[in-house]
Amino acid sequence: MTPMAQPQGVGTDAPPAGTSAWMRLARTMGRRSDPAIVGTLIALVFAAPIIALLVLAFTGDADYLEHIAATRLAGFATSSAGLAILSGGLAALVGTGGAWLVTQYEFAGRSILSWLLLLPLAVPGYVAAYSWYDLTAPGGHFYTGPDGPVPTISGLWGASAIFGLTLYPYVYLLARNAFEAHGRASWDMARCLGAGPLAALRRVALPLVWPAVAAGSALVAMEALADYGVTDFLGVGTLTVGIVRAWSSFGDPQAAAQLAVMLLFATLLALGIERMARGRRQFAENPGSRRAHARTPINGWRALVAQTACLMPLTLGLIIPAGNLALMAIETQPARPVMPALQGTLFLALASAGLALLIGTVSAYALRAGPRFGRMAVRLLQAGYAVPGAVAAIAILALLVLVQDALGTFGGSSAPLITGGSILALLFAYQSRFAAVAILPCENALLKIRRELDEAARMLGSSPAGVMRRVHLPLAARGLATAALLVGVEVMKELPATMILRPFDLETLAVTAHNYASDERLAQAALPALVLLTICIPATAMLNLLRVR
Amino acid sequence: MADRQLQAGQATCVPSGKGFAERLSATPWLRRAVLSFGLVLAACSPAEQDPSDGTLTIYTSRHYDSDYALYEAFEQATGATVEVVEADGDLLIERVKADATSNPPDVIVTVDVGRLWHADQEGLFQPTDSALLVERLPASLRHPEGHWFGLTQRARVMVYAEDRVDAAELDDYANLADQAFEGHICARSSGSIYNISLLASLIAHWGEERASTWASGVASNLARPPQGGDTDQIRAVAAGECDVALVNHYYFARLLREEPAAVEGLAIAFPSAGAGTHMNTSGAGVGANARNPDLARQFIEFALSDEGQRLFPELTNEFPAVASVTYDNAALASFPDFIRDPLPAEQIGANQELAQRLFDRAGWP
Repeated sequence: MTPMAQPQGVGTDAPPAGTSAWMRLARTMGRRSDPAIVGTLIALVFAAPIIALLVLAFTGDADYLEHIAATRLAGFATSSAGLAILSGGLAALVGTGGAWLVTQYEFAGRSILSWLLLLPLAVPGYVAAYSWYDLTAPGGHFYTGPDGPVPTISGLWGASAIFGLTLYPYVYLLARNAFEAHGRASWDMARCLGAGPLAALRRVALPLVWPAVAAGSALVAMEALADYGVTDFLGVGTLTVGIVRAWSSFGDPQAAAQLAVMLLFATLLALGIERMARGRRQFAENPGSRRAHARTPINGWRALVAQTACLMPLTLGLIIPAGNLALMAIETQPARPVMPALQGTLFLALASAGLALLIGTVSAYALRAGPRFGRMAVRLLQAGYAVPGAVAAIAILALLVLVQDALGTFGGSSAPLITGGSILALLFAYQSRFAAVAILPCENALLKIRRELDEAARMLGSSPAGVMRRVHLPLAARGLATAALLVGVEVMKELPATMILRPFDLETLAVTAHNYASDERLAQAALPALVLLTICIPATAMLNLLRVR
Repeated sequence: MADRQLQAGQATCVPSGKGFAERLSATPWLRRAVLSFGLVLAACSPAEQDPSDGTLTIYTSRHYDSDYALYEAFEQATGATVEVVEADGDLLIERVKADATSNPPDVIVTVDVGRLWHADQEGLFQPTDSALLVERLPASLRHPEGHWFGLTQRARVMVYAEDRVDAAELDDYANLADQAFEGHICARSSGSIYNISLLASLIAHWGEERASTWASGVASNLARPPQGGDTDQIRAVAAGECDVALVNHYYFARLLREEPAAVEGLAIAFPSAGAGTHMNTSGAGVGANARNPDLARQFIEFALSDEGQRLFPELTNEFPAVASVTYDNAALASFPDFIRDPLPAEQIGANQELAQRLFDRAGWP
């Protein structure tokens, strides 16, 4: 371990230069090139916007907070909690259920369904919300009147359904890998010892995949909490809606930052509870269990039930909303060409995926072997996922202006390097926002590698870098590629930070679609949204190639 | 927009190679991305941009066909190149502040009159002296020192079901709070800037107490929790979920033109009591650090010319700021004459925060 004795608190990281912990860290760096230390440093850099957010929050007055506490805060908090629980719960149910069916049973269409079940992740939440609302609201094809059998997709339940149905693949992906990695040995053993299928599921299979399910559901809940587009459109008053209002109606970025910090702490608390629930259990995999295991063949009505269960989320999350858009796009003459937006989207996604790979890997090292300070920095970076995109972008803008001013002072040049309008600013924003998505799979991949392997390699004379290159990377490659793909898809769908920070002539499909939709021209938004889906789907499908054998 | 040339001074930073250079010159954002990386790695500084290269930088919250047509017409008329940054509402103001030195806008365009006022409070505009603009616009549609000029107007109106509501019941915004309408009103959430500006204007006319009572009254008359956009409120009236929707006039005009079947049996009411119908102004001003203030002034004058003004009603169904302009739009022509509330921008802008507070207290979600 490093000689860092005093882990620093979150609030005291802001003035880094000159503090003794940093000096010691720098000295340590000089002696060792442990990837964990590099990871700590990178995590700190990308956590900087969150630190800027904290500074912003604590420099404002409490005027808005007092007003909102007296009027709507309780409602905001209840809606947020409800949305997180319902979205996360629905995603856990659908994702785990789907993963269970396709890994444990053999039925007609199983392998293709196992592949298709991931695809709803390609649908941005706001696209699904617009499309479903269009179908079920007055004037829509599925509208059956205010008391009809088909409810209008709106409010808390509607928004939860949208998040659950478009984000459950996070849970599905992780749960499927976990079910496959642990094989059926434990399950068969439990059944042999007399446990019924339900008891075996509850007492053996579910505890084994619990970390995966919890991590996936946490991602879903965090994304739902930070969302503005879906919740505002469907009329759910969450904390994020309050945050955006603090800023847009009250012109008070500090008040927005204060509410955002509350949301951040709530998220950290939830993540902490999840970690504590996981406890000290280490889920290193059993090397012998990776053999291809036999799935129980089912047919007849059982197979039909399994097929229907797998088709449901696919139909509701992808086929219906995308089909509705496709019909609209066919009937509508496009107002502007989509090619420039397509190029911009692809460029941003590729660049971000590459960066995420780097950051995810080194951060995972910081978690695995780093100093406590490093682990805290990474957790802070992960919490960035729960900061609403608009607020994150403002924090980043504030931070970049500071950096630019500092560069201008020291370098004597006022080169417009990093303030708004530069691709670098946008890429930086994506990383600090989506690091959580990159770190989780990387962390899971590295956690599965037994520490004995490290020790063996070190004893055989390998350097830490050598261990990383020759032992860890080959073993963790799939997890790392998953991280890159997930971030790529997230970046393609991302809206607020892109709108705020993008260079003037860089168009993206998400921004184009949003502009039309916010102008209430859904038919014009349909084409860019469909193109976005068309490139997100193969990227999402590639996740399937990365499953364990 | 139009092609842009790769500037000689900047090209020295990037690796050479024919295909690569061609790609760079065709894709400016990619060029800057490479340049930025190059700058960081090689620490070479970029050439200063030529301030008078005939490029007009516009930061706008508008992303409508009328505006794209306007840029194109302006480029053709003057030979200038228009570069556009689009961002919604307050994001635009933050972005302008952040880019003040690196990419200062020549023209800033907002869609809400309160935001025009806020942007002005932040010092984002510079005064523009134009006898032409003063002559074209009434005093209520421009800043007294020429910080900004109105381009278009949007009326906050009521759309109602003719068979269920009598037009005479809707000649005043106050009517929406009448007990008779309990469970019959559809409106967007109180976060909608158009609802906020309407209440801000009512605060100016009625005082805080009456405006607050009104907001509570309307909130308890809502037929369903606010959801969707203005068009969705109109469709809800058509479907019978409510009888009256509080919306901007151009959504109704658009449906009239593009989807007349969807608004059959519906009519539009422009309140006439008191100061008349609340109008929200979308406007433009010359940026405080503009590189090309003259070109910026020319652009605003072009937008307020007969040729520029008619694009707004014809392509976006907004009312032109210049009252004398003639245009071709059957939906707008079918609307009755109405009284436009000439309330000055600062009254609306300064009351917006209070309006949001009143909405929060009233329990209007």
